[in-house]
Amino acid sequence: MKEILVDFEKCNGCLMCVQACAAEHSLSKTIPGALAEGTPARIFLQHVKGSPVPIVCRHCEEAPCVDSCMSGAMKKDPVTGIVTNEGNDQECAGCWMCIMSCPYGVIIQDHRGKTAKALKCDRCQGKEPPACVASCPNNALFFMEPEEFSEIRRRQEAKKILVVS
Amino acid sequence: MKDCQSCSSATGCYSAHDSINEMYERTTDMGLRTIFDRHEDQQPQCGFGMTGVCCQLCSHGPCRVTAKASRGICGATADTIVARNLVRLASHGAAAYSHHLEEIAKTIKATAAGKTPFKIADEGKLREIAGVVGLDNTKPANELATELADVILSEMRKGSDEPLALVKLFAPATRLEAWEKLGVVPGGVLSEVRDAMTKSMTSINTDPVDLLLTSVRLSLATGYMGLIGTITLQDILLGTPQITKSEADLGIINTETVNIVAHGHVPLVATAVLQASQSEEMQELAKAAGATGIKVYGSMCTGQELMQRQETTAGGFAGQLGNWLIQEYIVATGAADLVMMDMNCSTPGLKTAADRFHTKLVSVDRVVRMEGVTDHIDYEPEKIAEQAKELITMAIEAFKHRGTDIVIPTHKSAAVGGFSVESILGALGGNLDPLLDAVKQGAIKGIVAVVGCTNTRNGHDSQGLTIMKELIKNDILVITAGCMSSAAQIDALMLPEAAEQAGAGLQAVCKALGVPPVLNFGSCVDIGRIGVAVTAIANALGVDPSQLPVAVSAPEYLEQKAVADGIFAVAFGLLTHLGPVPPVTGSPLVTKILTQDIESLTGGRVLVEEDPQKAAQAIIGHIEAKRRALGIEQPVLTR
Amino acid sequence: MNHVIIGNSAAGVTAAETLRMLDDQAQITIISDEKEHAYSRCLLPDFLSGERDSKSLRIRDLNFYSQNRINTELGQKVVSVDHEQHQVVLEDGRRLQYDKLLVASGASPFIPPIPGLQTEDAFGLRTIDDANRILEAAKSSRNAVIVGGGFIGLEAAYALRSRGLDVTVVEMAPQILALQFDEKSAGILADDIRQAGVNLITGAGVKEIEGPAFPGKLRSAGKKVILSSGDSLQADLLIMAAGTSANVALVRDTGIKINRGIMVDSRMRTSLPDIFAAGDVVETLDVVSGSIGLTPIWPNAVVQGRYAAHNMAGNDKKYSGMIGLKNAVEFRAVPAIAMGASRGTEEEGYEVLTLDQPAYQLYKKLILRDNRLQGMILVGDIKQAGVLGALIRNKTDVSAYKNCLLQPSFSYADILRHSA
Repeated sequence: MKEILVDFEKCNGCLMCVQACAAEHSLSKTIPGALAEGTPARIFLQHVKGSPVPIVCRHCEEAPCVDSCMSGAMKKDPVTGIVTNEGNDQECAGCWMCIMSCPYGVIIQDHRGKTAKALKCDRCQGKEPPACVASCPNNALFFMEPEEFSEIRRRQEAKKILVVS
Repeated sequence: MKDCQSCSSATGCYSAHDSINEMYERTTDMGLRTIFDRHEDQQPQCGFGMTGVCCQLCSHGPCRVTAKASRGICGATADTIVARNLVRLASHGAAAYSHHLEEIAKTIKATAAGKTPFKIADEGKLREIAGVVGLDNTKPANELATELADVILSEMRKGSDEPLALVKLFAPATRLEAWEKLGVVPGGVLSEVRDAMTKSMTSINTDPVDLLLTSVRLSLATGYMGLIGTITLQDILLGTPQITKSEADLGIINTETVNIVAHGHVPLVATAVLQASQSEEMQELAKAAGATGIKVYGSMCTGQELMQRQETTAGGFAGQLGNWLIQEYIVATGAADLVMMDMNCSTPGLKTAADRFHTKLVSVDRVVRMEGVTDHIDYEPEKIAEQAKELITMAIEAFKHRGTDIVIPTHKSAAVGGFSVESILGALGGNLDPLLDAVKQGAIKGIVAVVGCTNTRNGHDSQGLTIMKELIKNDILVITAGCMSSAAQIDALMLPEAAEQAGAGLQAVCKALGVPPVLNFGSCVDIGRIGVAVTAIANALGVDPSQLPVAVSAPEYLEQKAVADGIFAVAFGLLTHLGPVPPVTGSPLVTKILTQDIESLTGGRVLVEEDPQKAAQAIIGHIEAKRRALGIEQPVLTR
Repeated sequence: MNHVIIGNSAAGVTAAETLRMLDDQAQITIISDEKEHAYSRCLLPDFLSGERDSKSLRIRDLNFYSQNRINTELGQKVVSVDHEQHQVVLEDGRRLQYDKLLVASGASPFIPPIPGLQTEDAFGLRTIDDANRILEAAKSSRNAVIVGGGFIGLEAAYALRSRGLDVTVVEMAPQILALQFDEKSAGILADDIRQAGVNLITGAGVKEIEGPAFPGKLRSAGKKVILSSGDSLQADLLIMAAGTSANVALVRDTGIKINRGIMVDSRMRTSLPDIFAAGDVVETLDVVSGSIGLTPIWPNAVVQGRYAAHNMAGNDKKYSGMIGLKNAVEFRAVPAIAMGASRGTEEEGYEVLTLDQPAYQLYKKLILRDNRLQGMILVGDIKQAGVLGALIRNKTDVSAYKNCLLQPSFSYADILRHSA
């Protein structure tokens, strides 16, 4: 199944992915609009001593967030593989068990509505490529099968060795 | 001092100074977010901006040079965008220094006309400089001062095609030759700024090399007008610095007095206020309010200016609090009654701190404005006597509203300052020979100016202090100017006792002369004084400055005046180390020119090194190479 | 293959849908003594407060059973298991045959033997039925007393308070949430819940219950709750939230190995062949303490249910244990999470790292041993709870970034960067 994959070396912390994600999930669908609406992003640009590291939801196979959801809202779609608590009959209760369980720390609290809910990447509801990947100006984000990505990385590394020799 | 490079503290230590770390804990406890918090909030920062390849000039932008787009929409390459951005930074610096210079010049004229509380403090220097610029220096002092000020003012305003007189008069001959060959001898600094702003507009000058040369012109205009011009006029008006003693750090704050903070770079208002605060009238007013007196403390360069002129016009100066980064913490002591903000470096963050306390913020310069600050007493030389009293009265009023939540760290250091070419000559017995002999013999391997701003990219003041200590350990005399002076003062490096931390050679020289191993040349504009010193040494040895065993380090540079200073140093033929990576690495061309090619054109180059130990080693290596080339290298004894 | 599952909650439902995913042909039956479609007990406080109705308590779509072809025996109580005959005996006398049996019968509220306490006086909060009876009683109640200052007690208190009742929680320990939060964090949460108007009494147990003077007649008189401190409280409505006990009665006669819960191995197998168990009813490995015990937490029940299903279906899937103690809570405004050995102290030989910034409403505490995270408390900022939790679960050596753990910038990125 296709995943959002990251070439960390290419990321330069420009925050385009974060802004594009917010825009995609806003009403206005624009970056300035998302800023004005206060739409949160679901991809995170973390850092280690100022060095940027994008962290995205992996839509895990045995997703800990799904296991810990006690309202039944968080589900993994058997067809698309997308893990989301939105668009299901069950409503998120904002209990934060999923935040407690996610080993990547990619679920956040969303206080915008009447009740607080957990918010996470919904892979742009299946839109291909997801907004973050489409927006990256540095070729740091990919949306493809992990095997395909590994192949690309292998070739990149090989090229480095060839150049040196 | 903390060794920030290897620190592994769990809670995060942010400054090289205990006092600031304690104050940071205090502001955290108060829920007041300060500069260290905001620095963290900004991470990670955009790589396009950091490498200088983001152009926001026109409405097609913002354009970035990316993996997918090698040019902006207009066709600008990374080289163009980087070089153009650099011109704009240098323009800011040149302009700001020009504002400072103009205020001094206007003040001299008004003083000569008897309209200010100031007097011409160094008549000797007035006559000397007036003579050099071609005036009849036998005239009465006031008349001469007016004429000299007018010369400076017209120099500022003349066309960019009319070379600056100060460059022709004061630059070493070999330097002038190099600059003429490059076509970078500048004209009037304001015209140079106009040209630079025009060139760096959308699609006017897109030639990266020409833009770089434009930056060099700006820096030379800055160096000779904004720096050398300013320090010369300031010395004439307020007195040439003399070696003097003071103290530094937050621990000097007195809780019983009305506390005024002179915060900025232009010392005119601060000097007037300091003088007026000692009048009986003001003292009585303060005592009536319940204070034991009035103290004027220094913050940033204005403080250095006051400190080095304690013997002439700034007697009674209460000491230096610190450099720009700590301004919120000064207010957070709860004991700062009035902060007089002259140009520059009053941060908006200062207001967020002041809002939590009784502290009054006042702008004392017409170009300084801050949201929420409605008190403006914009300096006018003819009104400053009254303005000074008004400011002191405001401070006394504020003192009455001081709260009880006062936290002042106990740390403070004594510090020796006031080193100028004149005062050094005085200490050496009239000429530079003792110093030059020490350099030739290797007791002093070389001289490095550690100057410029401070920065929290790698720990506040820690880079600068690490470099200073490493250099003096290797018998290299360190001179400082700007925020780096505050760093050294607080870390007790500016005391004769600090010679213990120096190598054997330097230690011996310092002990013989009774001076610290780190000499305070003063403020940002006193980088000009360093230029004068290097010129004097170069002339004395009969070599070009680029041949001297000297270097410059701006290990924590921040703003645009520093960019102009840094390019000036490179143009002057000096190895110029920068700690923070300047926003040029997105252009391989500009990077290569600044760090390599320019050496063959001006004799100087930029060395970017974030690790202070590596930087120090590179500088030491450079100095040793220069010594060898001059034939004065001594066998290596100890390292 | 004929799978029978006793229990229609986290473990049972997860096991059933996993079995269907693994085996399209198997016969799957869920038996529950409750009539309702699978619902979340954790959401009962929201039902009490009126925020949710019974429909919005469901954890699966209405067509869950039919879509997954799961037979259901709802509202049917299992009275015993005839393991030799491989039969489950229902209350109505019917016997259901099984090839594999999963006991996921959960736990029931523990009603302590307090002098004067009649069973009809006090309510637990475990089922919709309990909740409905509480709501009925609440109609004519002005004040409620809840015995037990743990999660359930406090959530119930908060819910009833929002219905306008005067609510007091009585907790024997010196602080609320005494099993997982420390004094400081419990204090912050106590302040938060007090802001909502809930009264909290700590350090006192219930000594005795006194009924109304005219037995049963005067409903308005309520009960008098006498505390060990000597004080007494009026309780029109009395709720017991003093813990739960595993529902093992239905298998006790079988001779199955039982401690406080049903003992299972790492394949969720009980001591009897073809009988598995999962959820609140079992004792499994707590990876933090290293000991076997009850770990009645929703995520653990779900995972155990899934693993049991795999092993029932013939896959050999080893359950390597989870963190036994972990919970997330937010009453009014302050989110808080506690995991693992969260009450460890330096006296006990742990390394304790603390961040205490009351001005920012932040309190974080990390409990380590040998540079491995064993427990944590986060109050105010819970964003990286899962990242830290994974460090606890995996017993990762955190020496390379120990000083980063409490920094505001700590994230999974630190682990990524240091694991290369």
